[in-house]
Amino acid sequence: MGSLTDKYCIVGVGETPHMRPSNRTTLSMACEAVSKAVADAGLKLSDIDGMTSYQIGDSTTSPHVATALGMRLNYAVDILGGGSSGEALVAHAIGLIEAGYCKTMVIFRSMNGRSGRRMGGQTPGGPVPVAVAEGDGQFNMGWGWTTPAQRFGMSAMRYLRDTGCTTKAFAEIAVAHRYHASLNPKAIHRNPIAIEDHQRSRWIVKPFRLLDCCQETDVSVAIVVTSRERAFDLRHPPVFIMGGYARTLTDSPQWNYSRDEIHYVAGNYGWKRAFGMAGISHKDVDFVSCYDAFTFTTLIQLEANGFCRKGEAGEFVKGGRLRIDRELPSNLSGGHLSEGYTHGVQMVIENVRQLRHRADDACPGWAEGRHTYDRKAGCRQLRKADICCGMGWGWENMASCLILRGIAA
Amino acid sequence: MPAPIDYSKLRIVPDFDTAEWWAAAREHKYLVRQCPDCGHKWFPPIFPACARCGSLKPGWFQTAGKGVIHSYVVVVQPIVGAFIGTVPYVVAIIELDDCREAGGSVTRVAGVMLDDEPEVAIGLPCEVVYEETADPRIVMPRWRVSGSAANVWRFNE
Ligand SMILES: [Zn+2]
Repeated sequence: MGSLTDKYCIVGVGETPHMRPSNRTTLSMACEAVSKAVADAGLKLSDIDGMTSYQIGDSTTSPHVATALGMRLNYAVDILGGGSSGEALVAHAIGLIEAGYCKTMVIFRSMNGRSGRRMGGQTPGGPVPVAVAEGDGQFNMGWGWTTPAQRFGMSAMRYLRDTGCTTKAFAEIAVAHRYHASLNPKAIHRNPIAIEDHQRSRWIVKPFRLLDCCQETDVSVAIVVTSRERAFDLRHPPVFIMGGYARTLTDSPQWNYSRDEIHYVAGNYGWKRAFGMAGISHKDVDFVSCYDAFTFTTLIQLEANGFCRKGEAGEFVKGGRLRIDRELPSNLSGGHLSEGYTHGVQMVIENVRQLRHRADDACPGWAEGRHTYDRKAGCRQLRKADICCGMGWGWENMASCLILRGIAA
Repeated sequence: MPAPIDYSKLRIVPDFDTAEWWAAAREHKYLVRQCPDCGHKWFPPIFPACARCGSLKPGWFQTAGKGVIHSYVVVVQPIVGAFIGTVPYVVAIIELDDCREAGGSVTRVAGVMLDDEPEVAIGLPCEVVYEETADPRIVMPRWRVSGSAANVWRFNE
């Protein structure tokens, strides 16, 4: 961003509970998430004049939400896009506000990701309908190779072969993120697990076991972006947007799996742009978030974004390095693996709460930023949470990133 | 060998970009796209332009259907209904022998192996075989290990 670094802020965050099922429409959930994020910012719905969302043909639209809530918008556009779109829409918001199209923008995602359209498909039960393979599906459905687990597993398998890493490294990520979920009252899986629990869980698609895969849920999430001038008057300490990259693509000779190295992901060059914009280096980062649709996607993003050297992520995560109070805490809400699945936005939400010093944990004074830092008592607020690097994932060849800082940094 | 795929639960719908590919498969020919202007090859044929030179009139190249396994997964939990009785089965990415280009570019395809997991490894040579489906218009390419190699890697967990 360079000249726009720290000029725009995330001032509001909100979400509905992770449910399986929600028994609600995506419009109903989106209205709640948007209302909560706006209230969290200390704003009224009438203060919001821009709205945007992303979806994959599985959700409601901004005009529906604005109509339902009686909002008059100066800008409303919804995009089709997978994971890593949330960070991209933050970049849109900055550009739109800078250009004067609107002043304060809310970004939402709403999905019945469990009871409606599931990313991972539905394990067949009862009478099996005929599956129709058209478009891309002609060249994967006929091979029984359709789900993200089945697709990303191909890169993960080659990564294991190329680096000598084992699935114990995957387990480290499952264990760390689950530990964080144990400190998060909103998470759907809160029982801590050990490396052995991961290793004993059943196979989904080798090299992925059940505990390598995220928890699909029904949920809506929203964040509010505005300029720093407005941000200072609002309810919480502002969280400044320092830099990022948005849905970068690797060179792809027509097809992801024909790239020379199928586990070479888009963050590999993207991070230089993000860190350059933000004017920081990796050692300035207090904590990270990684799009953990699978344990492996976290592993490869850490490596791609330069937190460790190529081929060394397996070593890097060993011994609980990603846990709170350790070297590089990752996904402090429990992430997709243990909190629930929001298609990426919950990572931004948790990072904002941490940077405000207002993680909604078990500490009696959390809402005022007073924490015990006693993990046994359920505190999940980091002691030092000044700068965060959030890494988004769409596909092996598509990634986003958002570097944020709190008021202390 | 994994149990059969229930093709009655699967309907392949060729489109304007892929109809010739499926027609060739019916005649037991394995095609990849090739650019008549620069020679670049690619797969799958859903992509209607040459990523190297931007040509919008791609042609075809008939491969011998032989290659090396570049990576694989073993599907244990079925998702596509046609594969309920097939699990566990191996899906592999195969690097085609006759599609290596001077610039280092490779063309890889994917498909379901006829071999069970213990027989499959990264680095092994394999070849295409053709399988009839419930739909007379659709013949499905499958792959089988066709020999041995010095440097192979297997997932042993
Ligand atoms: Zn060309």
